[in-house]
Amino acid sequence: MSGDRQSLDSLLPAVYQELRRVAAGYIRRERPGQTLQPTALVHEAYLRLMKDRPDRWQNRAHFCAIAAHSMRQILIERARARNARKRGGAQPRVTLDEALVAGGEQSFDLLALEEALQRLAALDPEQARLVELRFFGGLTVEETAEAMEISPATVKRHWAVARAWLARELEGRTGA
Amino acid sequence: MSQTRWRQINDLFHEALARDPAGRDAFIDERAAGDDELAREVRSLLASHHRSGGFLEAPAWEVASGLLADGEGAGLVGRQIGSYRIVEEIGRGGMGVVYAAEDLRLRRMVALKALPIEYTRDPRRRERLQREAQAAAQLSHETIATVHALEEIDGVLFIVSELVRGRTLREELQDGPIPSNRLLETLIDVASALAVAHAHGIVHRDLKPENLLRRDDGRVKVLDFGLARFTPAGDAPTMTKATEQGMIAGTPGYLAPEQVAGGEADPRSDVFVFGLLAWELATGLHPFGSNRSSQIARLVELSEGRLVTLRGVLSLAGLDPIIRRCLHREPGLRYPSGEALLQDLRCLRENSRGDWMSADGLWWWQFHQWGVAVLLAVMPILAWMIRRWVGPLGPAMFFTILALATTAVTLRLNLVFTSRVQAGRLTSHHARLFPWIARLELGLAALLVVSALFIAASHEATAAALIAIAVVTAASILVIEPATAGAAGIRQG
Repeated sequence: MSGDRQSLDSLLPAVYQELRRVAAGYIRRERPGQTLQPTALVHEAYLRLMKDRPDRWQNRAHFCAIAAHSMRQILIERARARNARKRGGAQPRVTLDEALVAGGEQSFDLLALEEALQRLAALDPEQARLVELRFFGGLTVEETAEAMEISPATVKRHWAVARAWLARELEGRTGA
Repeated sequence: MSQTRWRQINDLFHEALARDPAGRDAFIDERAAGDDELAREVRSLLASHHRSGGFLEAPAWEVASGLLADGEGAGLVGRQIGSYRIVEEIGRGGMGVVYAAEDLRLRRMVALKALPIEYTRDPRRRERLQREAQAAAQLSHETIATVHALEEIDGVLFIVSELVRGRTLREELQDGPIPSNRLLETLIDVASALAVAHAHGIVHRDLKPENLLRRDDGRVKVLDFGLARFTPAGDAPTMTKATEQGMIAGTPGYLAPEQVAGGEADPRSDVFVFGLLAWELATGLHPFGSNRSSQIARLVELSEGRLVTLRGVLSLAGLDPIIRRCLHREPGLRYPSGEALLQDLRCLRENSRGDWMSADGLWWWQFHQWGVAVLLAVMPILAWMIRRWVGPLGPAMFFTILALATTAVTLRLNLVFTSRVQAGRLTSHHARLFPWIARLELGLAALLVVSALFIAASHEATAAALIAIAVVTAASILVIEPATAGAAGIRQG
């Protein structure tokens, strides 16, 4: 991700297409007791894109970072578009309650999460990036550690506090 | 809040988290050293930490898969694409984007559906799509939205089809089950579409309430015939790839078990999905539960040969066996195609004359059949016992009664079987068999009376019993049978 904004943007569509394709395939193959392996998904997309244009990627971590960022952009864009269609841009917004969440019935507002994530980036850019990799990129703790060049223990610490903070921010919104 | 403050909060959060929960509060107070705001913030974050459970643990594309399915290509309204002027967007979401457009050459309104860009790139895939579109264009029926053309405009492929305005059955389901007075007609429309398509060798592959549109006149049209797997509905590129690789294509809640197992869809797969649809339309509930994961789970169980309980209660006795036959795990045990299914549904419509067979009435009718069967089984035994008392004609009498009774029992049990397996045909079957059953049983009753007369002088009691049985048999034919059949909704010929 090191500063190369332009090349990142130019790679987004390809990564996005590939992720969407692979993700859809995984969701279809989903079985009870054997839930979607997000990392496998990213790996598969990565392998395909590598085969296609190996010169475009510095390394896998680089790819994961781009994938996560691309996923975030696309989901947020679409959530905005959907809301705009529904209510001329006003509340209520897209909630993630499609019953696919591992644990069950939680639902939350994707756009509220995005806003909270931006506030978190002001407090701690590293934690915000970590959330991007973990949530939008679907990376495991180990992979996140690799992509960010920090230790898995640090990832866990950052993740715990960032998650707690974000959850509280979102609660505050929906509770109000 | 400053970044340094945030660090401070972070540090205390982790230190407190590492402590034993019992000593945590005191520890925070001690470390905060009078900084109440810090202590409060850390406590609130810790509470949130313990509450947040699986928050953000599932990746975004999983929780927001619906958003991923949203197609691109908004904002075409008002523009002209090739010789089509886009008038309005009429469908979006699960179906991708569909526009109502005016065909400027033919001056008619059509529906335009954009296909993913992949099709224009891959010549093989395009060729296949072309073939499928040609096949689908052959289908012309009042219950099928006709495909007019496959057009390439500015590098994008569009399916041009008949414009159907109306409400999808998905929207109707939001108001609950389809009312019983229009349910059967709805199902017959869908089955008719399947029958026509299957006769042309075309399988729908993606039947679901979203693809069924009810026009203002109440008739239902099936959309996307044969092309379902090419539309953006299910991430078309993956879908085709998936089909090529033997992966699952379609929408999880509306798949046949063999599709889950990676097999090719054939007419019987459509029949299975029709069963799911019919159940959902009749009860308002998807038979495999309302969420995607439970639907997938049930489907997988089914494809692995396990028994699956259906959600919801179907009170329409006549429809129940038809749906169950559709939902057989084994494709070979389902209706072989839409045509056979349609026949049964039509039979059911004719037989029920708008009234549904009553499940309760059917039970009593079946109970009656078993009762009479037992009675008939007793007759040859009695005839055997009295054959010597009757005299030289005894053995002949016995064999006649045996033949008549076995035939009558067989026919009765055949009716019971039909009522269980093919209720749709029960009335016509009953109308065909019952006159024979009536003749056989009245004949038996007559023979019993004759036998009774033969032995009346020597064996009074037995003779009386025989006459009683004869009377019961006659009464059963003339009175009880019409009454129970009527209660079961079987029309009397």
